[in-house]
Amino acid sequence: MMLDDTIVAFLHRPLMCILAGSDASGRPAAGRGIGVMVSDDRETLGIILSAWHYSALANAVAQTGKLAATFVSPCDYVTYQFKGRTHLREAGPADLARAETFIADATASLSALGVPRGIIPQWMTTRDARVAMLAVAECYVQTPGPHAGMRADAANGAPTL
Amino acid sequence: MTLRLADLSACFDGVIPSIIATAAADGTPNVSYLSHVVRVDDDHVALSNQFFAKTAANIRANPLVTLILVDCFTGEEYLLDVRFVRSLDSGPLFEGIARHLAASSAQIGMANVMKLKSADIFRVEAIGMIPSPLVPTRSETGKPIIGLTALAAAVRSIERQEDMGAVIEQLLQNVRHLLDCRHAQILAPDTTGGSLITIGSLGYDNSGIGSEVASNEGLIGLAVSSGKIAKVSDMSRFRRFGDAIKATDGGDEDRSRNITRPSFDGARSQIAIPLLTNNEVVAVLLTESERPAAFGADEEAALEMLAASAARAMRGAESLAASARQEPAPDHAVATPCATDSDVIRVVHHRFDDSVFVDDAYVVKGIAGAILRQMLEWYRDQRRIDFSNRELRLALAARMPDFKDNLETRLLLLRRRLDEKETSLRLAKTGRGQLRLLVPDLASVEMRHD
Repeated sequence: MMLDDTIVAFLHRPLMCILAGSDASGRPAAGRGIGVMVSDDRETLGIILSAWHYSALANAVAQTGKLAATFVSPCDYVTYQFKGRTHLREAGPADLARAETFIADATASLSALGVPRGIIPQWMTTRDARVAMLAVAECYVQTPGPHAGMRADAANGAPTL
Repeated sequence: MTLRLADLSACFDGVIPSIIATAAADGTPNVSYLSHVVRVDDDHVALSNQFFAKTAANIRANPLVTLILVDCFTGEEYLLDVRFVRSLDSGPLFEGIARHLAASSAQIGMANVMKLKSADIFRVEAIGMIPSPLVPTRSETGKPIIGLTALAAAVRSIERQEDMGAVIEQLLQNVRHLLDCRHAQILAPDTTGGSLITIGSLGYDNSGIGSEVASNEGLIGLAVSSGKIAKVSDMSRFRRFGDAIKATDGGDEDRSRNITRPSFDGARSQIAIPLLTNNEVVAVLLTESERPAAFGADEEAALEMLAASAARAMRGAESLAASARQEPAPDHAVATPCATDSDVIRVVHHRFDDSVFVDDAYVVKGIAGAILRQMLEWYRDQRRIDFSNRELRLALAARMPDFKDNLETRLLLLRRRLDEKETSLRLAKTGRGQLRLLVPDLASVEMRHD
């Protein structure tokens, strides 16, 4: 699906990212993302994760190609979840640069909310980074409130292509 | 090293949100944040069933679930493989989780909106530590260690007190020194209505003595209704809502008769501990800290012990004052250093709430107001300034059928309000169960009843 302007703008804000995959036995795996890029056609997200940090997640995604990614803006809790098929590729210098910016923005946002700055690096590292190329099939609003759980295209009032 | 749930105590305070990953029957994953994970025993955790519909549906279709829990002091993450067992909608465990959730929700005025309908129980199949990119260092939220010797000394120091005011002060000072908490307040139920009144406080810009809170409101209300501890480990997530609520509070107490509640803007953690005697809540201790997750299991246990000793000492102080023999009043009145601008002290008493104003300044209402009114009438009619608890209790019981045996608490409130408002009238204890109304130069009192 093509992401609308609201969501593309959202993905350029300071965000935190959590991820889930599932392995062949149906056991879900969890982890965090450290960056996101939107493809020119707005149908694919490049989501950066550390295969060293969240190895079970990276293995599950490599095994089944299934991924869910939830992004939240810490300052106002605006949240979207994306789902679809994915494949992993090695991260290049541009991806790592993007990840560093993502981590710096998230750190600033969280520490402004009172999260001790010293513990935030526990959750985000670029070590052994991979990029999950997620072909977005579904997008849902997870912001607490009346639209929570709705498909984003319906909640945002934009036509889906 | 095999990790146990008991090793993860710093993950259950809800300061850093947990993560829940589920998968549908076809393997499609789903991921969201989770605010409440509760440790049930060594092998089970409970989650408040307030998930998005998709998470709930996935758990029913596929009981395998993965959680990430975060240590709020170090940021270290733990991966838990869990399996759904069953749902609960009643019983002690459910009620405990509901109370925990209500404590958080109450801070944003959403206690009813976020009422817990059920809780899901999961068996923990594996716990692993997620590799840390850092050498873990404790954040600045580290708490002081409470020593048993110091705790025992604190308990003894409270139980030694025989006077209600001294019990309250000693409890507050021990909270200050033992737990390094600079903000605390003690509230007592008002027997005439559904509220609690601040009778002691520590560390606030305004003491708030005499201010009220509805007995069904927030953490304090939860502690009263359940008779159990209620706490919030990270209020910062609710700060914006709290600010909005506070903006409607306060005002001119001489006009509204509502005293502004003591409040600490920097509070990250709050805990309300009921002071119980014979299963009756005689007071609530509210303690606040600028540290997130400041009140863990050790702090809870210490506060519970301090509160229990204070409850016993309060009851003892009440009994001692009640049983004191009435001594003959001195045959002369004693002039006091209080100054007054005129020979007449003007008092207005409002019958509908027993509020009393002295020289246009609001002093107090409720039972404490009725006590002041009674003493002022005796002074006006009989020129007496010395009174006993016993005669006050008899006089008030005749007037107020629901008056209970907690006169000392009301006298403490009245004494502190008169001091704080710097009125021309003061109240002093002259012995066990004895007190004196201090009237400057034995001025006349002009009373008006509205």
